[in-house]
Amino acid sequence: MQKPQISGNCITIPSNQEFLSDVDMFIEGILRGYGADESIIADIAISVSELVNNAIAHGNAQNETKNVTVEISKNSDKVSISVQDEGSGFNPNSLDDPLAEENLLKEVGRGIFIVKSLMDSVNIVPSPRGTKITMTKTIK
Amino acid sequence: MRLSDRIENEIVVLEPKGKIMGGPDASLLNDKIHEYIENNRKKVVIDLSKVEWMNSTGLGILISGYTRLRNHQGVLKLANVTDKIQSLLTITKLVTVFETFDSVDDAIKSFK
Repeated sequence: MQKPQISGNCITIPSNQEFLSDVDMFIEGILRGYGADESIIADIAISVSELVNNAIAHGNAQNETKNVTVEISKNSDKVSISVQDEGSGFNPNSLDDPLAEENLLKEVGRGIFIVKSLMDSVNIVPSPRGTKITMTKTIK
Repeated sequence: MRLSDRIENEIVVLEPKGKIMGGPDASLLNDKIHEYIENNRKKVVIDLSKVEWMNSTGLGILISGYTRLRNHQGVLKLANVTDKIQSLLTITKLVTVFETFDSVDDAIKSFK
């Protein structure tokens, strides 16, 4: 696969950051269709971009033959988004504390922390066939 | 992300626009700061008024610019920080790192 594939409420991209904006446009478009306000859309879009960046860089190790799949759904006022990579899984407990004094000026390592701050819930399920992260947020 | 730059009262003003999320244009800001350092211009204001949002990659770019300038005896200040970015700076404690101003003019005046 060389370019994004869209099927219903699901977009799949090769592991290349040039496709980040495709995912963003897709997700923001659906959220506007759900009637979410712009501040909530930004929170979710930021979180999706964090997870897709991680999936490309860490999960799939920039291997373009591996894909990242993002799926969005809504149940009542709660939006659920999952980001799935095809890597070998990671240990969410191994992440450094980005608020620690010694980490404050590090250029990386804040992604998951920001997602947890902006979203209502974040569930990380690592497996040898890839990591799936599902997050939710109430939009009204 | 798009980026424009200018010199105002001897201070470099960088104005990124759009979303800073990573990808091919993520190095634009860092490259531009490096270019100004090479030309011995080490007082920089980043005007964030036209940035819709940024993620941790964007924060990493700001930190990189801040540390790179500091290592060359320069200074990086932020102006027109939007509510969304201010919120990110607060939750990540980077609000304790960056000097922020309500306008580019205020940021420029603060160098005097």
